[in-house]
Amino acid sequence: MIEDETTAGDILLGDVTRLEDVLSRDSVTKVVKSFFALFGLPVRVISDEGDLLADVHRDQPLCRYLNTLADGAAKCAATVSEVRDLEPVGDTIVHPCFTGAVYRVVPLAYQGRSMGRFIVGPYVPAEANSAPTSLTSLEGAFDPDTLRGHYDHMPRVREDIAEQLCDHLEGVLELLVFSGHRAQLASTMQVASVRENYRELAEKNEALQESYEELQQLDKLKSTFLATVSHELRTPLTSIIGYAEMLESGAAGAMSNEQTEFLQTIRGKADELLTLISSLLDLGRLEAKTLELNPEAVDARALLSGVGSTVVPAANRQNITLDIEVAEGTPKIWGDPIRLRQILLNLTDNAMKFTGNGGTVSLLAAAGEQELGGPSGLGAALFATRRPAVVLTVRDTGIGIAETELARVFDAFYQVDAGTTRAHGGAGLGLSIVRQLVDGHEGTIEVTSKVAEGTLVTVTLPAANDNDG
Amino acid sequence: MQVDFGAKELTVKLVYYGPALSGKTTNLRAIHWLGTSSACGELMTLETKNDRTLFFDMLPITMDASSGLKVRIKLFTVPGQVMHDATRRLVLQAADGVAFIADSQRSETSANRESFLNLKRNLEDNGMDPQRMPIIIQFNKRDLNDVRSDEELAAIASQSREPIFRAVATRGFGVMQTLVGLIRETWTKLEEEHQLEEKFGINAVRFMHEVESNLRHQTGSGTR
Repeated sequence: MIEDETTAGDILLGDVTRLEDVLSRDSVTKVVKSFFALFGLPVRVISDEGDLLADVHRDQPLCRYLNTLADGAAKCAATVSEVRDLEPVGDTIVHPCFTGAVYRVVPLAYQGRSMGRFIVGPYVPAEANSAPTSLTSLEGAFDPDTLRGHYDHMPRVREDIAEQLCDHLEGVLELLVFSGHRAQLASTMQVASVRENYRELAEKNEALQESYEELQQLDKLKSTFLATVSHELRTPLTSIIGYAEMLESGAAGAMSNEQTEFLQTIRGKADELLTLISSLLDLGRLEAKTLELNPEAVDARALLSGVGSTVVPAANRQNITLDIEVAEGTPKIWGDPIRLRQILLNLTDNAMKFTGNGGTVSLLAAAGEQELGGPSGLGAALFATRRPAVVLTVRDTGIGIAETELARVFDAFYQVDAGTTRAHGGAGLGLSIVRQLVDGHEGTIEVTSKVAEGTLVTVTLPAANDNDG
Repeated sequence: MQVDFGAKELTVKLVYYGPALSGKTTNLRAIHWLGTSSACGELMTLETKNDRTLFFDMLPITMDASSGLKVRIKLFTVPGQVMHDATRRLVLQAADGVAFIADSQRSETSANRESFLNLKRNLEDNGMDPQRMPIIIQFNKRDLNDVRSDEELAAIASQSREPIFRAVATRGFGVMQTLVGLIRETWTKLEEEHQLEEKFGINAVRFMHEVESNLRHQTGSGTR
């Protein structure tokens, strides 16, 4: 791409546009002052933009005197303006003054580009013997002795020395420009790099956000799918169970013993399938947040004994001792009775499933407290409020769960050991549903376990207010 | 390329790219040391205290072509370390040609490949077409043990779309050939795109002669 404007790509090309951008007035003035102090030569530094970056000089008595004369003042002004307008390219210009003094105008270039110039003078070349006629033949009245006296007091330098001094000053100024340019580029690049890094990160964040939203969408779709499919599966299954029952009851004629046995198997398996589908449906609804809870005050004793009587036959078959205890002063639970039963039944079933012959499963209800809102720990006094709760615990003396697995037991379809699916049945949905139901009741659930010693599940649910019934 | 018609001035940007520690800065140092002081300006380095390039190094070269045109060539290096990718992309902006400095050691083959892919990606990210970018490849560090052999490089060169150069930058061998080669590739492309001869009366062959005579008062060994 061709750019006619020189400024547009200057940063990309690492160019300096203006001398004043990289040369600090302070530092250049300091250098020039010390130059003046050492050699007595006045110096002015001017940028190509016309800015005077440094000006160190002392009015010479000769110049002061000439400015009091009409002709002198006019000629002086003309010379100064000529010198100011000189723009040397490549080489130094030595410009004479009518007084016999000279000015050296030295170009300042950087990386092949003109940047400005500096002017050294006026000084009288040491080679000159006497005041020139251009000075001594001024028009108007003046005192030749005073003029000559002032002329003799002008700074004097040999031309070859003056050239060396100018070379030296040029080198110093170029070095200042170089350092200034280096600092400018470093800071420009610093800012540009930060900006570029930020842009890159922002782009990546946006992409991550998009894929996160996509995943959320998919998750929602999964829950809807689960709910729909389970619902559709349940309808024909209900008919299968119904017709099997009718056959079993002899509605279509008497059944032989073998036929009845087969029908019972069909019924049993269909019931298992129905439970599984109901669980899937619950999970789908829970994840889609469409499951409605109808909370009321539920008596803990009734809840526990209800669950106990359901599981007693199975416990007897497995030779498991079932302990049920409701502590004195346990308040009523604020929850949906059907769902509370589901929670406790699920946990008890689970405990029995993993407890061997001769083991014990204990259900316990007691009064407790629940922390609400705010983070616990730091500043908890400001945020947390406590409310009465009921603590339900289900303890078993079963195989236990390894610590590394504890965090995942609530994941849907997760089973600690894939082998347990075959040995103990179940699809790994139970605990996931339990946790979601507990969450739905604003309760908490915790599992602690020791391998080969047993597992303790603690569910804390809000207590009903006294006047809730 | 930047053109200032008023000042009859043309500025070309050339970038030395390559994996970390392949010798990009060493190439510029060698050019600064071997090149004539009339053409080569001061080498500016923006480096950390460990001598690793932080942002870039820059070496300005200025030449007055016989047609009256002033040609400024600015050589840049990028930081090779992987973490400085944003800086590499910034330095690469507005580049007219790229010298890819590869490390000849066999152990560095995959680093070379990664860096070249990174160059390609960064060119694309900057909206530049890698297919149309003048690129030359230098196999540096020819003096080390277990490097890819000359025969291998010759075989690579005969297959390669990019001109291949060999160098020992620490001793200055091959760096000027690489630079002249890069300027030639770049100039050919710029001539095609901008008809420099027509616009500025600057003939490519004559210009390359001028480049060589302006730049060099010494020659290293090392060949194409």
